[in-house]
Amino acid sequence: MYISDIDTNTKRAAKTALVYLLVSLFCALFGAVYELYSHEVYSFYMIYAFAFPLAGGTMPFLVISLTRVRRYPNSLSRNLYHSGIAALTVGCIICGVLDIYGTTNMIVIWYWIIGIALFFAGVIVYFLSLVLGNKKS
Amino acid sequence: MKKYLWAILYGIILTAFTLYVLMDTFVITRVYQTVPSDDEVSVTESRGSDDMEADVEKNTAVITENSYDDGNISITITEYRENNTEIYAADIQVTSAEYLKTAFASSAYGKNITQNTSEIAENNSAILAINGDYYGSQENGYVLRGGVLYRETASSGQEDLVIYQDGSFEIIDETSISAQQLLDDGAQQILSFGPGLVKDGQIAVTEDEEVGKAKTSNPRTAIGIINELHYLFVVSDGRTDESEGLTLYELAQFMQSLGVETAYNLDGGGSSTMYFNGEVINNPTTNGNSIKERGVSDIVYIGY
Repeated sequence: MYISDIDTNTKRAAKTALVYLLVSLFCALFGAVYELYSHEVYSFYMIYAFAFPLAGGTMPFLVISLTRVRRYPNSLSRNLYHSGIAALTVGCIICGVLDIYGTTNMIVIWYWIIGIALFFAGVIVYFLSLVLGNKKS
Repeated sequence: MKKYLWAILYGIILTAFTLYVLMDTFVITRVYQTVPSDDEVSVTESRGSDDMEADVEKNTAVITENSYDDGNISITITEYRENNTEIYAADIQVTSAEYLKTAFASSAYGKNITQNTSEIAENNSAILAINGDYYGSQENGYVLRGGVLYRETASSGQEDLVIYQDGSFEIIDETSISAQQLLDDGAQQILSFGPGLVKDGQIAVTEDEEVGKAKTSNPRTAIGIINELHYLFVVSDGRTDESEGLTLYELAQFMQSLGVETAYNLDGGGSSTMYFNGEVINNPTTNGNSIKERGVSDIVYIGY
């Protein structure tokens, strides 16, 4: 690896962390405004939806940008991972909408199933790439 | 562009799925069962004479702006003002429990089937009606109406009001008894919203009790029994400058003050509606800005 590679990776990770931070802020703001008009019906799903992009996106990529990772996550692992976080975040907000209205819908479970599956798929693909990359070199 | 292909395709799929979830929850109508109309009821039940009885009774009824009396059904509406809220209490005395009824929007059991309380009431020739438990917004909870069982999946921790064929009330926990058992025991109607407000004359809600996480002042609907065949329907306004609304505890206190033995909370908020002699007599509102009814999935009413 070259120093320039590390700099590039740092910048990429920092950029991704920033995007996730903005998404978290948007979710927090959306939740706050939605709760404002919900006749004081509160939903943990709506209030804490921002936690998914924050904990699942901003923090890991911040860590990657601050540490010298051996290998930056490849596009497949990133796509899977981002898709997982997206599904979990959207699912959480939709659960909040239903919760505040006072209703339920069984099919929201697919947000959680797909979200968790894609999240772990992304993580696994990344670690596999580390392991296989080691074996090659 | 190729770099973002995954993101674009996935974004489209996620958006489409989300739209479907919202449509399925709030819009798409599904009829699971239609309620048999009068024409489909067995000939031997002589519906014709029941209709005639209703007409005769209504023709001889003494009706004022806030009362109705035809010998079988006696209703008195009283307006109260408590907790900065307009409250409408209908005191009902009937000679038979058969005049305490329920009805579905569009006479059909299903999902996203709604009509205004006044429309359902008119379609069923109700003399007095209030909105019901809005079963349509829930996936679980017992639905038993007019002696017919439509849904028997229990919801954990759910308190229901059971109205028996003899007109008596009982508040039960869905997890402790099956809907079928209740039907076998003589239940005629089951309402599944709650919580129970008054049991054996005592207030049964704590000051922190929640209905869907709303422990604040809102329009409310409640039903209670004072003694045999003597009922109380109560609707309060709310969410406006004129009427703040009631907490569940305040609602329970009000019901208790009017002498109910058992009282039960029904769907509130924008659903709270009282219909009497062809008119909506409260001020239903969803957001406090405009006074208008909200579509509901079912009503409880007094009629023939």
